[in-house]
Amino acid sequence: MPATSKKISIGYDKVKPIMIGKGLPLVFIGGPCAIESYDHSMYMAENIQKICVELNIDWVFKSCYDKDCRSSPDSYHGIGLQEGMKILSEIRNNFGVPVVSDFSDVNDGNSVGEVCDLVQIPAYLCRQTSILKTAAKTGRPVHLKKGQFMSPWNMKNSVKKLEINGCEQILLTERGTFYGYNMLVNDLTSLPIMSKTGYPVCYDATHSIQLPTSMGSISGGQREFIPGLVRSAVAIGINALFMEVHDNPVKALSDSNTVLDLKYLKQILNQAIQMHNTYLDIITKYGEDNVHKK
Amino acid sequence: MLPPSEFPILDNKAILKDALEKMSIYKLGIACIIDENKKFIGLITDGDVRRILLTIQKPLSALFMEDVLDHISKNPISISPEMSIYDATKLIGEKWVWDLPILSRKKELLGLFHLHRALDFCLDTY
Repeated sequence: MPATSKKISIGYDKVKPIMIGKGLPLVFIGGPCAIESYDHSMYMAENIQKICVELNIDWVFKSCYDKDCRSSPDSYHGIGLQEGMKILSEIRNNFGVPVVSDFSDVNDGNSVGEVCDLVQIPAYLCRQTSILKTAAKTGRPVHLKKGQFMSPWNMKNSVKKLEINGCEQILLTERGTFYGYNMLVNDLTSLPIMSKTGYPVCYDATHSIQLPTSMGSISGGQREFIPGLVRSAVAIGINALFMEVHDNPVKALSDSNTVLDLKYLKQILNQAIQMHNTYLDIITKYGEDNVHKK
Repeated sequence: MLPPSEFPILDNKAILKDALEKMSIYKLGIACIIDENKKFIGLITDGDVRRILLTIQKPLSALFMEDVLDHISKNPISISPEMSIYDATKLIGEKWVWDLPILSRKKELLGLFHLHRALDFCLDTY
């Protein structure tokens, strides 16, 4: 299978579909890790929208209603399915932007699929057959995050689980790989490897710098590496960029040590867009990268 | 000739591990790949696997997951069902191969001409 030959379309009804795939402009997926409140979600969507309009980049609003993989039982668990879907639905209506949330419970699949333009499989659950089947059955494109414990080539098995359940719109995302305990490393070769499935690939810059549960009951992170890793991932070849963003990271109810401060979003997206355009120019001008053909 | 039930045949979605397993089951160093319409699209041999191991230095688990299609010979030497055993055996010697896929005019895989079977035939006949 040649690298990323397929294109996926995200958006339905009044939300104009955006395309992710080979040769297309970079797409941004982002928002606060967790839906914190109606007002905060609207504030974040409005501000991210402003930046994306200014930079002329298509984007998908990401925020989750349920944070089921928190380290501590005391951590914020989420706003709940009903309220969460209501808020995401309003964001679609108010801003005309596609929305994505993950789900960790098969019983939530239908409700998430009814509202979200893109349904997300949490990295920890990326090989759970029941979750994958439920996501496929929603009929929406599926954002499949590579588990921190998974090799990129083994993601082909999870892709097959989606395909046999009727899903042919898949986005595969790299988000760091476990290196011993409480530590992730970034192996960017996973991106071209996963693109061999034919589906577009995405780099999750904010989770990739996470130090899982390194702070005892919460995760730490090394935010200082986000800009460089974004440039590197775009240079190796991605179709979408994922970053969780917050206007006040210290007060963020989830992933406070990894979310990107909103004030830096524009400069990082700007760099990413320019790198991506250069990448597309180079590939068009000089051909594909494979130097290992027979 | 070996009929299709007696040698490894894989579909075009098979991974490299499938090819190795089938070769081991049939005790043959070759696997033929066919498409959805049962048309022959290529083959892989244990010699190919040796070369893959020497040139593509990936972890074994990564190699196992590779699409077999990425490693097949797409235009191997093949023969028609009309070719005589003598000519086929001669061709095997000239080309230094062990097996020749037997293809119909429509590229359907009809069988496999295998060196050991050819030798058995020659010993019985002469």
